[in-house]
Amino acid sequence: MKDAELAALAQAGDRDAFGELVRRHAAQARRLARAILGDPDEADDAAQDGFLAALRHVGRYDPARPFGPWLQRIVANAASDRRRRRKVRRAEPVSPTMHDAAPGPDTITDRSRFRQVVLAALEKLPERQRIATVLFDVEGYSHKEISEVLGVPIGTVRSDVFHARRTLRTELDAWKDWRESE
Amino acid sequence: MSDTSPFDHRPDPELGRALEDALSASDDERFARQVMTAADSVFGAGASELWWQELTAWARPGLVAAMLLIAAGAFWMGTQMGQRGNGNGTSALGDPLSAADSEQLGVPVLLAGGEAPSVDAVMAVALEY
Repeated sequence: MKDAELAALAQAGDRDAFGELVRRHAAQARRLARAILGDPDEADDAAQDGFLAALRHVGRYDPARPFGPWLQRIVANAASDRRRRRKVRRAEPVSPTMHDAAPGPDTITDRSRFRQVVLAALEKLPERQRIATVLFDVEGYSHKEISEVLGVPIGTVRSDVFHARRTLRTELDAWKDWRESE
Repeated sequence: MSDTSPFDHRPDPELGRALEDALSASDDERFARQVMTAADSVFGAGASELWWQELTAWARPGLVAAMLLIAAGAFWMGTQMGQRGNGNGTSALGDPLSAADSEQLGVPVLLAGGEAPSVDAVMAVALEY
């Protein structure tokens, strides 16, 4: 069954139809929320907020358009709202003990270290670039679909993807060079 | 990273894999169950809203139907009572103050009588005036 049909059923109160939409889009929504927020638990909360907001306003979804970008826009907004609120909450400096609690390079595997490097590189990007590159290079969205998610012109999306890729490649290449020199 | 140009309009598979690996969580099923548990409150609220919308949607035609029924019933009762009135309707109710009786119980009649009138007769004449 197509997403649009499931959305229509969910609007009519069909719980199972909405459940199927959640299962289909959960992974994407969680990745996007995590790209924006970093923290996995907070990202899950934001993704859940996004799904619930989508359910409440599913009547506004245009079935002639793909469901994914419509949902991802809601999830991105939910995650961005949380990020803004977090910035307000974190007015005081982060405790240095938090850094001490993190495992050292010799106690973590190479793969998880690489994941941390990727996440740290993402964290350096402006939020819009982060969303653009994740939707383009991970989820396979077109520039047009991303422009609908972000509400910006297609040219802006191309520019965001370009700058995000350049920054990420620089960071990840530096890490690879460091790994090979060890 | 890969040799793909940043200007390339195709997704970069190597960068995509690295990002996907870093961002993906393994327990999507648990997450979906969690979302559905939270969604139940939305579905519950939706059901009560639907119930209320249904009720209010039926309220106006229901009121109109009830008023029509009452009007039809009143008309029928009026017709029935009219038919009885053509015969001896009011006397059937045993009205002690009927016009025929009050004519007989006028003040002159009471005064002309040889005997003292009953209390009922005096009250009937008093109410008549």
